[in-house]
Amino acid sequence: MDLRPAEVTSILEKEIANYQGESSMQSVGTVLSVGDGVARVWGLDDCMMNELLEFPAGVRGIALNLEEDNVGCVLLGDASQVKEGDQVRTTGRIISVPTGPSLLGRVVNALGDPIDGRGPLSVGDDDYLPIEQPAPSVVERQPVDTPLQTGIKAIDAMIPIGRGQRELIIGDRQTGKTALLVDSIISQKTTGGGDPEHPKQVICIYVAMGQKQSTVVDVVQKLEHHGAMPYTIVVSASANDEASMQYLAAYGGCSMGERFRDEGRDVLIVYDDLYKQALAYRQVMLLLRRPPGREAFPGDVFNLHSRLLERAARLADNAPQINPRFKKGGGSLTALPVVETQENDVSAYIPTNVISITDGQIFLESSLFNAGIRPGVNAGISVSRVGGAAQIPGMKKSAGGLRLELAQYRELQAFAQFGSDLDKATQRTLARGERLTEILKQGQYVPMPVEEQIMIIHAGTSGGLDDVPVGKVQAFEKAFLQHMQDSHPEVGAAILETGKVSDEAKATMEKAIAAVKPQFV
Amino acid sequence: MLDPVAQRYADALFSLAKKSGVLEEVRRDVARLAEEVSQPGAGAYLFDARVSVGERRKRLDPILSGLHQMTRNFVGLVFDKRRESLLSHLGEAFHRRVLDERGAAEGLVRSARPLGAAEVERLANSIGSKLGKTLTLDNQVDPDLLAGVRVIVGSRMIDHSLSGRLNGLKKRMLDAPLPSLAEG
Repeated sequence: MDLRPAEVTSILEKEIANYQGESSMQSVGTVLSVGDGVARVWGLDDCMMNELLEFPAGVRGIALNLEEDNVGCVLLGDASQVKEGDQVRTTGRIISVPTGPSLLGRVVNALGDPIDGRGPLSVGDDDYLPIEQPAPSVVERQPVDTPLQTGIKAIDAMIPIGRGQRELIIGDRQTGKTALLVDSIISQKTTGGGDPEHPKQVICIYVAMGQKQSTVVDVVQKLEHHGAMPYTIVVSASANDEASMQYLAAYGGCSMGERFRDEGRDVLIVYDDLYKQALAYRQVMLLLRRPPGREAFPGDVFNLHSRLLERAARLADNAPQINPRFKKGGGSLTALPVVETQENDVSAYIPTNVISITDGQIFLESSLFNAGIRPGVNAGISVSRVGGAAQIPGMKKSAGGLRLELAQYRELQAFAQFGSDLDKATQRTLARGERLTEILKQGQYVPMPVEEQIMIIHAGTSGGLDDVPVGKVQAFEKAFLQHMQDSHPEVGAAILETGKVSDEAKATMEKAIAAVKPQFV
Repeated sequence: MLDPVAQRYADALFSLAKKSGVLEEVRRDVARLAEEVSQPGAGAYLFDARVSVGERRKRLDPILSGLHQMTRNFVGLVFDKRRESLLSHLGEAFHRRVLDERGAAEGLVRSARPLGAAEVERLANSIGSKLGKTLTLDNQVDPDLLAGVRVIVGSRMIDHSLSGRLNGLKKRMLDAPLPSLAEG
């Protein structure tokens, strides 16, 4: 890092010249009690809800409970610096975070302060946005109809995600939830070549709440390694941060995303994870003595998540005419919240809440994961309520067959375990299902372009793979896609351009399957 | 710090005294009571849970005998309702009500050197007109301010001190964007 003292001096000179002492009337209060990251303050007559408060020694806090004779606030810094009797001032500012392109490629905390050791952000006063903002209204939105390709076959084919959608990713620990998110972010590189200036590049935001710091470092490193960091912001409030920071990080990250959405860009934000966020929120609210409800969560824990996820939206093209807050229409914010379950129990409190808020869920199962089916997506109970409209026609057609065949396969799977005589039709369904399951397996950090996904799924559903041994399906897939790329690149290009699979393309693929198959049979 | 319950009791006593035209006597009584209660050691005999309520109430008798009937009734009610702990806030709460009634407020002006009476009054007048109240300011010397004044009225503060301005400048300079670092 290059520190230029002369330049610093000139900036400080400007600051001193322009410094205006605050002579306006300020509201002040006195700390009554402080502990567990929560302080009660007496006074502060004109304090606003969610207002940023200033404690001595540079510690900041947020007013959350405005009561008759005191204000309850959470501390956003080192609580040990705050003493009883300290003077507290209001700042007149609602808690806000810096936004804008200078955050791209950076790792910041819940308040938007950089924590990656790469110096301060270059943001102006206008770049600060409140962390809580109203969600776009009905007239400011348009239906979700554009796919957001995650590059993961199992998801893009069966549980498609559209831009502006909210799709829950739910599963036990160690079922590949974070891996799936990282893959989705890496896959967005194809939208604009990884150049954040490119208008089509999807901006990604990874919000880590209550995660281990080692996990965050790991994610950042993976994103950097795959060239995904230039268009990504990482907001980290890890397990050792104050509980208040852990629950605020989601809103801060959302505001950073909304800035791009309102400028007409497409944004993907992942919240990893909302269960830990709810735990942090519960802790803060219990310390503020709000009454506990089910599982000791406060009564507004549903609203905590619903108001956050409502901010995911696809803006109407004429949104700026309706509300000047939007600079350009057509942008979108897609949210992928994560909820960790215990023992695959999706009927617990927080999981059912978030399931009912989102437009579908991707259920990752440890039994599938451990059986080597990775990503371990349970296709039976995973759904996407709006994504069907957001698939390109070619994918919709081939994936329709895939869903059906897999459903039949699952139904018959139980019989297969008896190993007794099965009729021909059953055997055929089982064989097809095994091969399709094999096709949907995918390694980590290798997102697949949508045209290749269509080709291999077509190969599977058209029966071209039925005589390839199950163990060789993956090798066949690789060879087949390579062959298509080398000998018939026009097929992939045509699918991408028209979105459809023409009869000619189908015939070419049949030929390619026949050409590649002999090596594996 | 004000106890809302004490404020409610004080308000009731105030309005009754005003209606009955004995406000001045009651005000004096309350001040006398507040003084007694704030004596060191008073808490030990007034609020000691090991002593029965009747016993504790009797201990106040020597003072009560000199007070107006209304104040005596009030103290009796407070003990009957087992709210004797609010007696320690009564003086402050009653005083506040009296000030409110007069449209007055009291405040504190801290300054690095002692202010003259005329200066304090000018300050009180100009700030009081802003608040819409007759303001009385108490002057306190605080050399840490270096220069200037800091006025505190209730939970509002006007900071015109040098130390406050220096702190503000320090914060601003720490927050100043430094492009040479961001680019590096």
